[in-house]
Amino acid sequence: MSPQFVDFDADGDLDLVAGTFDGSPHLARREGNGWRQPEQILDAEGVRITLGEFWDHDAKKWSKTTRGDLPGEAPATGHATSAIAFDDDGDGDLDLLLGDHKSGHVYRRENRGTAAAPKFARGNQRVLGGDAPIDVPGTVATLRLVDFDRDGRVDLLLSSMGDAYSDKAGGGVFWCRNIGEGKQARFGPLQTLVPVSTKGKEAANRPDSGLYAEAGDADGDGDLDLFVGGYSHWRPKGKELTAADQQRVQAIHAATAELQQELQRLTAEAQKASAGVADEAEAGKRYTEAYKAQKKERDQNRERMQKLTEELGTLVPAAQRRSFVWFYENTTPRPQ
Amino acid sequence: MRSPLVAPFAVGLLAVASQLPAQTATAPTFAPPVKLMAGAKGLGENRLFPSPVLHDMDGDGLADLVVGDLRGRLTVALRQRGAGVPMFAAETKVMANDGAELDFANW
Repeated sequence: MSPQFVDFDADGDLDLVAGTFDGSPHLARREGNGWRQPEQILDAEGVRITLGEFWDHDAKKWSKTTRGDLPGEAPATGHATSAIAFDDDGDGDLDLLLGDHKSGHVYRRENRGTAAAPKFARGNQRVLGGDAPIDVPGTVATLRLVDFDRDGRVDLLLSSMGDAYSDKAGGGVFWCRNIGEGKQARFGPLQTLVPVSTKGKEAANRPDSGLYAEAGDADGDGDLDLFVGGYSHWRPKGKELTAADQQRVQAIHAATAELQQELQRLTAEAQKASAGVADEAEAGKRYTEAYKAQKKERDQNRERMQKLTEELGTLVPAAQRRSFVWFYENTTPRPQ
Repeated sequence: MRSPLVAPFAVGLLAVASQLPAQTATAPTFAPPVKLMAGAKGLGENRLFPSPVLHDMDGDGLADLVVGDLRGRLTVALRQRGAGVPMFAAETKVMANDGAELDFANW
Protein backbone atom coordinates (compact mmCIF):
# COMPACT_ATOMS: atom_id res chain seq x y z
CA MET A 1 0.00 0.00 0.00
CA SER A 2 1.28 3.48 -0.83
CA PRO A 3 -0.76 6.28 0.75
CA GLN A 4 -0.77 9.80 -0.74
CA PHE A 5 -2.44 12.89 0.73
CA VAL A 6 -3.90 14.78 -2.20
CA ASP A 7 -6.96 16.87 -3.09
CA PHE A 8 -8.34 14.26 -5.45
CA ASP A 9 -11.70 15.90 -6.14
CA ALA A 10 -10.65 19.57 -6.03
CA ASP A 11 -12.88 20.43 -3.09
CA GLY A 12 -10.09 22.07 -1.12
CA ASP A 13 -9.18 19.35 1.35
CA LEU A 14 -6.77 16.47 1.35
CA ASP A 15 -8.10 13.04 0.48
CA LEU A 16 -6.12 9.81 0.68
CA VAL A 17 -5.21 7.92 -2.48
CA ALA A 18 -3.47 4.57 -2.24
CA GLY A 19 -2.55 1.69 -4.48
CA THR A 20 -3.10 -1.58 -2.65
CA PHE A 21 -2.12 -5.20 -3.15
CA ASP A 22 -5.47 -6.02 -4.75
CA GLY A 23 -4.11 -4.28 -7.86
CA SER A 24 -6.27 -1.12 -7.90
CA PRO A 25 -5.99 2.45 -6.62
CA HIS A 26 -8.37 3.43 -3.83
CA LEU A 27 -9.66 6.77 -2.57
CA ALA A 28 -10.66 7.76 0.98
CA ARG A 29 -12.47 11.08 0.68
CA ARG A 30 -11.90 13.74 3.31
CA GLU A 31 -15.15 14.60 5.01
CA GLY A 32 -15.38 16.90 8.00
CA ASN A 33 -12.56 16.14 10.39
CA GLY A 34 -11.75 12.70 9.01
CA TRP A 35 -11.94 10.36 6.05
CA ARG A 36 -14.65 8.14 4.71
CA GLN A 37 -13.87 4.46 4.26
CA PRO A 38 -12.02 3.92 0.96
CA GLU A 39 -13.61 3.19 -2.39
CA GLN A 40 -12.05 1.88 -5.58
CA ILE A 41 -11.19 4.52 -8.17
CA LEU A 42 -13.05 3.70 -11.38
CA ASP A 43 -12.38 4.65 -14.97
CA ALA A 44 -14.71 6.68 -17.20
CA GLU A 45 -16.72 3.52 -17.98
CA GLY A 46 -17.19 2.66 -14.30
CA VAL A 47 -14.67 -0.18 -14.32
CA ARG A 48 -12.01 -0.53 -11.63
CA ILE A 49 -8.54 0.55 -12.69
CA THR A 50 -5.95 -2.21 -12.97
CA LEU A 51 -2.99 -3.38 -14.97
CA GLY A 52 -3.07 -7.01 -16.16
CA GLU A 53 -3.54 -8.73 -12.80
CA PHE A 54 -5.87 -8.05 -9.92
CA TRP A 55 -7.64 -9.71 -7.02
CA ASP A 56 -11.24 -10.40 -7.93
CA HIS A 57 -13.13 -9.70 -4.71
CA ASP A 58 -16.30 -11.40 -5.97
CA ALA A 59 -14.69 -14.61 -7.25
CA LYS A 60 -12.08 -14.50 -4.45
CA LYS A 61 -9.20 -15.31 -6.76
CA TRP A 62 -6.47 -13.59 -8.78
CA SER A 63 -7.67 -12.69 -12.26
CA LYS A 64 -6.16 -11.32 -15.46
CA THR A 65 -7.37 -8.77 -17.97
CA THR A 66 -6.18 -7.21 -21.21
CA ARG A 67 -8.78 -4.45 -21.03
CA GLY A 68 -6.22 -1.71 -20.42
CA ASP A 69 -3.81 -2.75 -23.17
CA LEU A 70 -3.23 -0.14 -25.86
CA PRO A 71 -2.50 -0.71 -29.57
CA GLY A 72 1.19 -0.31 -30.27
CA GLU A 73 2.10 -0.63 -26.59
CA ALA A 74 3.49 -3.74 -24.88
CA PRO A 75 0.67 -5.43 -22.90
CA ALA A 76 0.44 -4.14 -19.33
CA THR A 77 0.55 -7.59 -17.77
CA GLY A 78 1.64 -6.41 -14.33
CA HIS A 79 0.12 -5.80 -10.94
CA ALA A 80 -0.44 -2.18 -9.81
CA THR A 81 0.16 -1.98 -6.07
CA SER A 82 1.10 1.69 -5.97
CA ALA A 83 -0.64 4.77 -7.35
CA ILE A 84 -0.35 8.53 -7.21
CA ALA A 85 -2.60 11.27 -8.49
CA PHE A 86 -0.63 13.81 -10.48
CA ASP A 87 -1.38 16.43 -13.14
CA ASP A 88 0.96 14.76 -15.57
CA ASP A 89 -0.20 16.66 -18.66
CA GLY A 90 -0.67 20.07 -17.06
CA ASP A 91 -4.33 20.43 -18.00
CA GLY A 92 -5.46 21.29 -14.47
CA ASP A 93 -6.82 17.92 -13.40
CA LEU A 94 -5.23 14.92 -11.76
CA ASP A 95 -4.17 11.93 -13.81
CA LEU A 96 -3.13 8.66 -12.21
CA LEU A 97 0.29 7.04 -12.27
CA LEU A 98 0.40 3.33 -11.45
CA GLY A 99 3.50 1.45 -10.28
CA ASP A 100 3.90 -2.15 -11.38
CA HIS A 101 4.82 -4.63 -8.64
CA LYS A 102 5.81 -7.20 -11.30
CA SER A 103 8.02 -5.02 -13.47
CA GLY A 104 9.89 -1.75 -13.22
CA HIS A 105 7.35 0.13 -15.31
CA VAL A 106 5.10 3.03 -14.41
CA TYR A 107 1.78 3.48 -16.23
CA ARG A 108 -0.40 6.50 -16.76
CA ARG A 109 -4.19 6.76 -16.81
CA GLU A 110 -5.14 10.10 -18.28
CA ASN A 111 -7.98 12.07 -16.68
CA ARG A 112 -10.25 13.17 -19.54
CA GLY A 113 -12.78 14.69 -17.18
CA THR A 114 -12.28 17.61 -14.88
CA ALA A 115 -10.51 18.20 -11.59
CA ALA A 116 -13.80 17.89 -9.68
CA ALA A 117 -15.20 15.02 -11.77
CA PRO A 118 -12.37 12.81 -13.02
CA LYS A 119 -12.93 10.47 -15.96
CA PHE A 120 -9.96 8.17 -16.36
CA ALA A 121 -9.07 6.60 -19.68
CA ARG A 122 -9.21 2.79 -19.93
CA GLY A 123 -5.73 2.41 -21.42
CA ASN A 124 -2.49 1.90 -19.51
CA GLN A 125 0.24 3.97 -21.11
CA ARG A 126 3.85 3.48 -20.04
CA VAL A 127 5.59 6.56 -18.66
CA LEU A 128 8.95 7.45 -20.15
CA GLY A 129 12.14 8.23 -18.23
CA GLY A 130 14.33 9.84 -20.88
CA ASP A 131 13.67 8.17 -24.24
CA ALA A 132 12.64 4.78 -22.88
CA PRO A 133 9.92 3.54 -20.54
CA ILE A 134 10.88 3.89 -16.87
CA ASP A 135 12.30 0.57 -15.71
CA VAL A 136 13.03 0.50 -11.98
CA PRO A 137 15.50 -2.22 -10.88
CA GLY A 138 13.69 -4.62 -8.58
CA THR A 139 10.09 -3.72 -9.63
CA VAL A 140 8.10 -0.73 -8.41
CA ALA A 141 7.11 -0.59 -4.74
CA THR A 142 5.98 3.00 -4.52
CA LEU A 143 5.85 6.38 -6.25
CA ARG A 144 6.10 9.87 -4.74
CA LEU A 145 5.98 13.42 -6.05
CA VAL A 146 8.70 15.77 -4.85
CA ASP A 147 10.55 18.76 -6.22
CA PHE A 148 13.82 17.07 -5.47
CA ASP A 149 16.11 19.58 -7.16
CA ARG A 150 14.04 22.64 -6.11
CA ASP A 151 13.64 23.90 -9.66
CA GLY A 152 9.89 24.45 -9.24
CA ARG A 153 8.89 21.32 -11.14
CA VAL A 154 7.62 18.17 -9.50
CA ASP A 155 9.94 15.21 -9.92
CA LEU A 156 9.15 11.53 -9.56
CA LEU A 157 10.59 9.57 -6.63
CA LEU A 158 10.47 5.80 -7.02
CA SER A 159 11.51 2.94 -4.76
CA SER A 160 11.69 -0.73 -5.49
CA MET A 161 10.77 -4.07 -4.03
CA GLY A 162 13.67 -6.38 -4.83
CA ASP A 163 13.65 -9.89 -3.42
CA ALA A 164 11.91 -9.64 -0.05
CA TYR A 165 12.26 -13.27 0.97
CA SER A 166 15.74 -14.60 0.16
CA ASP A 167 19.33 -13.52 -0.42
CA LYS A 168 18.82 -12.25 -3.97
CA ALA A 169 19.26 -8.53 -4.76
CA GLY A 170 17.01 -6.16 -2.85
CA GLY A 171 15.52 -2.77 -3.65
CA GLY A 172 16.71 0.82 -3.97
CA VAL A 173 15.48 4.41 -4.24
CA PHE A 174 15.54 6.41 -7.47
CA TRP A 175 14.25 9.59 -9.02
CA CYS A 176 13.39 10.92 -12.44
CA ARG A 177 13.94 14.64 -12.83
CA ASN A 178 11.06 16.54 -14.41
CA ILE A 179 12.66 18.15 -17.44
CA GLY A 180 9.44 19.40 -18.98
CA GLU A 181 9.58 22.99 -20.10
CA GLY A 182 5.88 23.82 -20.13
CA LYS A 183 3.07 22.61 -17.91
CA GLN A 184 3.36 19.04 -19.12
CA ALA A 185 5.68 16.79 -17.12
CA ARG A 186 8.51 15.07 -18.98
CA PHE A 187 10.78 12.84 -16.95
CA GLY A 188 14.48 12.36 -17.46
CA PRO A 189 16.32 9.05 -17.08
CA LEU A 190 16.17 7.15 -13.82
CA GLN A 191 18.87 8.19 -11.32
CA THR A 192 19.89 6.34 -8.19
CA LEU A 193 19.53 7.84 -4.71
CA VAL A 194 19.94 4.66 -2.64
CA PRO A 195 21.61 1.77 -4.49
CA VAL A 196 19.97 -1.62 -4.78
CA SER A 197 20.90 -3.68 -1.72
CA THR A 198 23.17 -6.67 -2.15
CA LYS A 199 22.34 -7.84 1.41
CA GLY A 200 24.82 -10.24 3.02
CA LYS A 201 25.40 -8.22 6.21
CA GLU A 202 25.80 -9.25 9.84
CA ALA A 203 23.51 -6.55 11.25
CA ALA A 204 20.49 -4.53 10.17
CA ASN A 205 21.96 -1.33 8.77
CA ARG A 206 19.59 -0.32 5.98
CA PRO A 207 16.29 -1.25 4.35
CA ASP A 208 17.20 -4.08 1.98
CA SER A 209 13.94 -5.08 0.34
CA GLY A 210 10.42 -3.81 -0.07
CA LEU A 211 11.57 -0.19 -0.05
CA TYR A 212 8.84 2.45 0.33
CA ALA A 213 10.45 5.88 0.18
CA GLU A 214 9.12 9.31 1.10
CA ALA A 215 11.02 12.62 0.95
CA GLY A 216 10.79 15.69 3.14
CA ASP A 217 12.93 18.33 4.80
CA ALA A 218 13.13 16.84 8.28
CA ASP A 219 15.81 19.19 9.63
CA GLY A 220 14.80 22.45 7.99
CA ASP A 221 18.02 22.86 6.05
CA GLY A 222 16.22 23.28 2.74
CA ASP A 223 17.02 19.96 1.15
CA LEU A 224 15.01 16.77 1.05
CA ASP A 225 15.83 13.87 3.34
CA LEU A 226 14.47 10.38 2.83
CA PHE A 227 12.21 8.27 5.02
CA VAL A 228 12.31 4.69 3.81
CA GLY A 229 10.24 1.78 5.03
CA GLY A 230 11.40 -1.73 4.23
CA TYR A 231 12.78 -5.04 5.37
CA SER A 232 16.30 -5.44 6.67
CA HIS A 233 17.94 -8.78 5.98
CA TRP A 234 20.96 -9.89 7.99
CA ARG A 235 22.68 -12.92 9.40
CA PRO A 236 24.46 -12.39 12.75
CA LYS A 237 28.03 -13.57 12.86
CA GLY A 238 28.32 -17.01 14.41
CA LYS A 239 31.10 -18.41 16.58
CA GLU A 240 34.03 -20.42 15.21
CA LEU A 241 32.79 -24.01 15.16
CA THR A 242 34.90 -26.75 16.74
CA ALA A 243 34.96 -30.21 15.20
CA ALA A 244 32.42 -31.31 17.82
CA ASP A 245 30.17 -28.33 16.96
CA GLN A 246 30.34 -29.21 13.28
CA GLN A 247 29.35 -32.81 14.04
CA ARG A 248 26.46 -31.54 16.13
CA VAL A 249 25.30 -29.25 13.29
CA GLN A 250 25.26 -32.23 10.94
CA ALA A 251 23.33 -34.28 13.47
CA ILE A 252 20.76 -31.51 13.87
CA HIS A 253 20.28 -31.28 10.10
CA ALA A 254 19.79 -35.05 9.93
CA ALA A 255 17.31 -35.03 12.81
CA THR A 256 15.41 -32.13 11.25
CA ALA A 257 15.18 -34.00 7.94
CA GLU A 258 13.75 -37.04 9.77
CA LEU A 259 11.13 -34.89 11.46
CA GLN A 260 10.14 -33.37 8.12
CA GLN A 261 9.77 -36.87 6.64
CA GLU A 262 7.62 -37.82 9.60
CA LEU A 263 5.35 -34.84 8.92
CA GLN A 264 5.05 -35.86 5.27
CA ARG A 265 4.11 -39.40 6.36
CA LEU A 266 1.40 -38.06 8.68
CA THR A 267 -0.02 -35.85 5.92
CA ALA A 268 -0.08 -38.77 3.48
CA GLU A 269 -1.93 -40.85 6.10
CA ALA A 270 -4.53 -38.13 6.58
CA GLN A 271 -4.99 -37.91 2.81
CA LYS A 272 -5.54 -41.69 2.63
CA ALA A 273 -8.52 -41.30 4.93
CA SER A 274 -10.29 -39.25 2.27
CA ALA A 275 -8.96 -41.04 -0.83
CA GLY A 276 -11.65 -42.26 -3.20
CA VAL A 277 -14.44 -40.27 -1.53
CA ALA A 278 -16.29 -38.50 -4.35
CA ASP A 279 -18.23 -36.06 -2.20
CA GLU A 280 -15.97 -33.06 -1.61
CA ALA A 281 -17.51 -32.12 1.73
CA GLU A 282 -17.29 -35.69 3.02
CA ALA A 283 -13.69 -35.99 1.83
CA GLY A 284 -12.80 -32.80 3.62
CA LYS A 285 -14.50 -33.97 6.79
CA ARG A 286 -12.60 -37.28 6.79
CA TYR A 287 -9.28 -35.55 6.14
CA THR A 288 -9.92 -33.11 9.01
CA GLU A 289 -10.83 -35.93 11.39
CA ALA A 290 -7.72 -37.91 10.48
CA TYR A 291 -5.59 -34.77 10.85
CA LYS A 292 -7.03 -34.03 14.29
CA ALA A 293 -6.38 -37.62 15.38
CA GLN A 294 -2.67 -37.00 14.73
CA LYS A 295 -2.56 -34.02 17.11
CA LYS A 296 -0.32 -35.65 19.72
CA GLU A 297 2.23 -36.82 17.14
CA ARG A 298 2.20 -33.46 15.36
CA ASP A 299 2.63 -31.53 18.60
CA GLN A 300 5.59 -33.71 19.58
CA ASN A 301 7.10 -33.25 16.14
CA ARG A 302 6.71 -29.45 16.35
CA GLU A 303 8.23 -29.34 19.83
CA ARG A 304 11.28 -31.39 18.78
CA MET A 305 11.69 -29.26 15.63
CA GLN A 306 11.59 -26.06 17.68
CA LYS A 307 14.24 -27.30 20.09
CA LEU A 308 16.52 -28.34 17.25
CA THR A 309 16.04 -25.00 15.50
CA GLU A 310 16.89 -23.12 18.68
CA GLU A 311 20.00 -25.24 19.25
CA LEU A 312 21.08 -24.77 15.63
CA GLY A 313 20.67 -21.01 16.09
CA THR A 314 23.27 -21.04 18.90
CA LEU A 315 25.79 -22.67 16.55
CA VAL A 316 24.87 -21.20 13.16
CA PRO A 317 22.81 -18.00 13.57
CA ALA A 318 19.72 -17.97 11.41
CA ALA A 319 19.04 -15.32 8.77
CA GLN A 320 16.99 -12.42 10.15
CA ARG A 321 14.39 -10.32 8.36
CA ARG A 322 12.46 -7.50 9.98
CA SER A 323 10.71 -4.33 8.85
CA PHE A 324 11.57 -0.82 10.04
CA VAL A 325 11.40 2.78 8.82
CA TRP A 326 14.77 4.46 8.23
CA PHE A 327 15.91 8.08 7.98
CA TYR A 328 18.49 9.16 5.39
CA GLU A 329 19.76 12.69 6.01
CA ASN A 330 20.53 14.57 2.80
CA THR A 331 24.19 15.59 2.92
CA THR A 332 24.54 16.95 -0.62
CA PRO A 333 26.92 19.94 -0.56
CA ARG A 334 25.16 23.26 -1.00
CA PRO A 335 25.91 25.24 -4.16
CA GLN A 336 28.13 28.24 -3.32
CA MET B 1 1.08 22.90 -13.97
CA ARG B 2 -1.22 22.50 -11.02
CA SER B 3 0.61 22.59 -7.70
CA PRO B 4 1.99 19.25 -6.53
CA LEU B 5 -1.12 18.81 -4.36
CA VAL B 6 0.85 16.73 -1.98
CA ALA B 7 0.33 17.63 1.63
CA PRO B 8 2.62 20.41 2.78
CA PHE B 9 5.35 18.65 4.58
CA ALA B 10 6.78 20.91 7.17
CA VAL B 11 4.62 23.98 7.15
CA GLY B 12 7.03 26.87 7.01
CA LEU B 13 9.93 24.81 5.79
CA LEU B 14 8.60 24.72 2.26
CA ALA B 15 8.73 28.49 2.21
CA VAL B 16 12.37 28.33 3.27
CA ALA B 17 13.12 25.79 0.57
CA SER B 18 11.53 27.95 -2.10
CA GLN B 19 13.99 30.76 -1.30
CA LEU B 20 16.98 28.54 -1.83
CA PRO B 21 18.73 28.25 -5.15
CA ALA B 22 17.96 25.21 -7.25
CA GLN B 23 20.42 22.41 -6.69
CA THR B 24 23.05 21.84 -9.28
CA ALA B 25 23.40 18.62 -11.20
CA THR B 26 25.49 17.21 -8.34
CA ALA B 27 24.30 13.72 -7.47
CA PRO B 28 22.51 13.81 -4.10
CA THR B 29 24.33 12.15 -1.20
CA PHE B 30 22.93 10.83 2.06
CA ALA B 31 24.32 9.97 5.47
CA PRO B 32 24.14 6.31 6.50
CA PRO B 33 20.54 5.50 7.43
CA VAL B 34 19.28 5.62 10.99
CA LYS B 35 16.46 3.46 12.29
CA LEU B 36 13.56 5.66 13.42
CA MET B 37 11.80 5.23 16.74
CA ALA B 38 8.15 5.80 17.59
CA GLY B 39 7.98 5.99 21.36
CA ALA B 40 9.93 3.04 22.74
CA LYS B 41 9.44 0.91 19.63
CA GLY B 42 10.98 0.93 16.19
CA LEU B 43 8.81 2.93 13.79
CA GLY B 44 7.06 0.52 11.45
CA GLU B 45 8.80 -2.40 13.15
CA ASN B 46 7.31 -5.75 12.22
CA ARG B 47 4.63 -4.16 10.03
CA LEU B 48 4.04 -5.86 6.68
CA PHE B 49 5.82 -3.67 4.11
CA PRO B 50 5.63 -0.34 5.99
CA SER B 51 5.04 2.58 3.65
CA PRO B 52 5.63 6.02 5.25
CA VAL B 53 4.17 9.29 4.05
CA LEU B 54 4.57 12.74 5.63
CA HIS B 55 1.53 14.70 6.70
CA ASP B 56 0.76 17.12 9.52
CA MET B 57 -2.01 15.14 11.18
CA ASP B 58 -2.42 17.24 14.33
CA GLY B 59 -1.94 20.71 12.86
CA ASP B 60 1.09 21.60 14.99
CA GLY B 61 3.15 22.64 11.96
CA LEU B 62 5.30 19.51 12.00
CA ALA B 63 5.05 16.76 9.44
CA ASP B 64 4.06 13.50 11.10
CA LEU B 65 4.65 10.07 9.63
CA VAL B 66 1.63 8.13 8.48
CA VAL B 67 2.55 4.51 7.78
CA GLY B 68 0.51 2.23 5.54
CA ASP B 69 1.04 -1.50 5.25
CA LEU B 70 0.23 -4.51 3.11
CA ARG B 71 -3.01 -5.14 4.98
CA GLY B 72 -4.28 -1.70 3.96
CA ARG B 73 -4.22 -0.18 7.46
CA LEU B 74 -2.64 3.10 8.52
CA THR B 75 -0.97 4.33 11.68
CA VAL B 76 0.32 7.78 12.57
CA ALA B 77 3.45 8.62 14.54
CA LEU B 78 3.34 12.26 15.62
CA ARG B 79 6.58 14.20 15.17
CA GLN B 80 8.21 15.44 18.39
CA ARG B 81 10.04 18.75 18.48
CA GLY B 82 13.81 18.63 18.69
CA ALA B 83 16.96 18.74 16.65
CA GLY B 84 18.83 15.82 15.16
CA VAL B 85 17.30 12.59 13.98
CA PRO B 86 13.51 13.05 13.92
CA MET B 87 11.71 11.61 16.93
CA PHE B 88 8.12 10.42 16.91
CA ALA B 89 5.50 9.45 19.47
CA ALA B 90 4.19 5.88 19.54
CA GLU B 91 2.13 4.87 16.52
CA THR B 92 -1.65 4.98 16.81
CA LYS B 93 -4.26 3.71 14.36
CA VAL B 94 -5.81 6.04 11.80
CA MET B 95 -9.57 5.85 12.13
CA ALA B 96 -12.27 6.62 9.59
CA ASN B 97 -15.36 8.77 10.10
CA ASP B 98 -17.47 5.72 10.88
CA GLY B 99 -15.42 5.05 14.01
CA ALA B 100 -13.74 1.96 12.55
CA GLU B 101 -10.13 1.67 11.52
CA LEU B 102 -9.52 3.21 8.09
CA ASP B 103 -9.30 0.10 5.94
CA PHE B 104 -8.09 0.15 2.36
CA ALA B 105 -9.83 -2.93 1.03
CA ASN B 106 -7.25 -5.49 0.14
CA TRP B 107 -7.06 -8.93 -1.31
